[in-house]
Amino acid sequence: MKSIFSTTIAIAALSGTTALAHYGMIIPSDPMISQEDGRSVQLSVSFSHPFELDGMVLEQPVSFNVTHDGETTDLLGALNSSDIMGQPGFTLEYPLERPGTYVFSMEPKPYWEPAEDSFIVHHTKTYVSAFDDDEGWDTELGLRTEIVPLSKPFGLWAGNVFQGVVMLEGEPVPNAEVEVEYYNEDVNASVPSDLMITQTVKADANGVFTYATPTDGWWGFAALNTAPETMQHDGVEKAVELGAVIWVHFERWKD
Amino acid sequence: MPRLLAILAVVALATTAQAHQLNVFAFVEDKTVVVETRFSNGNHPVSGTVRILNEKQETVLTLSLETDGTVRFPLDRDAAASGLTIEVKTGEGHDDYWILTPEDIARGSGD
Repeated sequence: MKSIFSTTIAIAALSGTTALAHYGMIIPSDPMISQEDGRSVQLSVSFSHPFELDGMVLEQPVSFNVTHDGETTDLLGALNSSDIMGQPGFTLEYPLERPGTYVFSMEPKPYWEPAEDSFIVHHTKTYVSAFDDDEGWDTELGLRTEIVPLSKPFGLWAGNVFQGVVMLEGEPVPNAEVEVEYYNEDVNASVPSDLMITQTVKADANGVFTYATPTDGWWGFAALNTAPETMQHDGVEKAVELGAVIWVHFERWKD
Repeated sequence: MPRLLAILAVVALATTAQAHQLNVFAFVEDKTVVVETRFSNGNHPVSGTVRILNEKQETVLTLSLETDGTVRFPLDRDAAASGLTIEVKTGEGHDDYWILTPEDIARGSGD
């Protein structure tokens, strides 16, 4: 399936530098941990352009939590500094003590993006199922902005659609724009047009969006809105882009 | 016609039940093994047979699930030295197991 992408990632990177999408990333070692897999999950936490594997600096986040069975635990102190895509990021090994869905979430520090003349704050999360129990897969964390999954955010086949509701300040966002990008971690995918590095879908009047993935792997969905407040950069008030990012893994179908 | 409806009803019921996969989880707490079961729809089975097997896959204990889908039994350190397999059957097509590894047992028994 990946062969449908016809030109190389190198060409895309050379010609598409103005269109790179930023993504907060939380990538687990496995989105579905069975008892045979062990009793923990490893997380890789970064900020990047995931298709081009172009890393950016992720400073110590404002918060990093896990939510399981209605209980949220602060994991900020458990993050280990690491180099991811050539830039500072974090890793974490988290013990899974009980079955169910663990939702890992991060609020990063505002990132100043000169090219966009604005700050970027991507509230990022991912869902991990432990021990074949999917209880809690549709958990809404109550983040300032987030994508609440309507499709179970793990155990999806490549080609399945993913649906979610874009929420901002606790309300669905009608007609929200959602950017979708593939984490090109094995550097196999390439695109015939820069326009296909980051695809965009719009939510309906209820904030619900739908996207069907062409291949297996990790896919990031980022719903972007502008915050009502501004932040100062060099004494000048600048806009703040609020991103609701969710990372979802799609599995390869094997006949 | 009534016979056809009866067959369809049985098929429908069987399909529904099959869709509710059984999940088994067990842990050690205060030197007691706690077994928890749940269907994938969140409901607990109200009855079932629990077999405890040692590393040689020999049955060392057979118990019945409580009506809340759990069962507890004292940890036998000798039988559990190399871990335990806990098999639960709640009906046709509804079975699952959990392997308590020596590490799981050590974590919960204060070793």
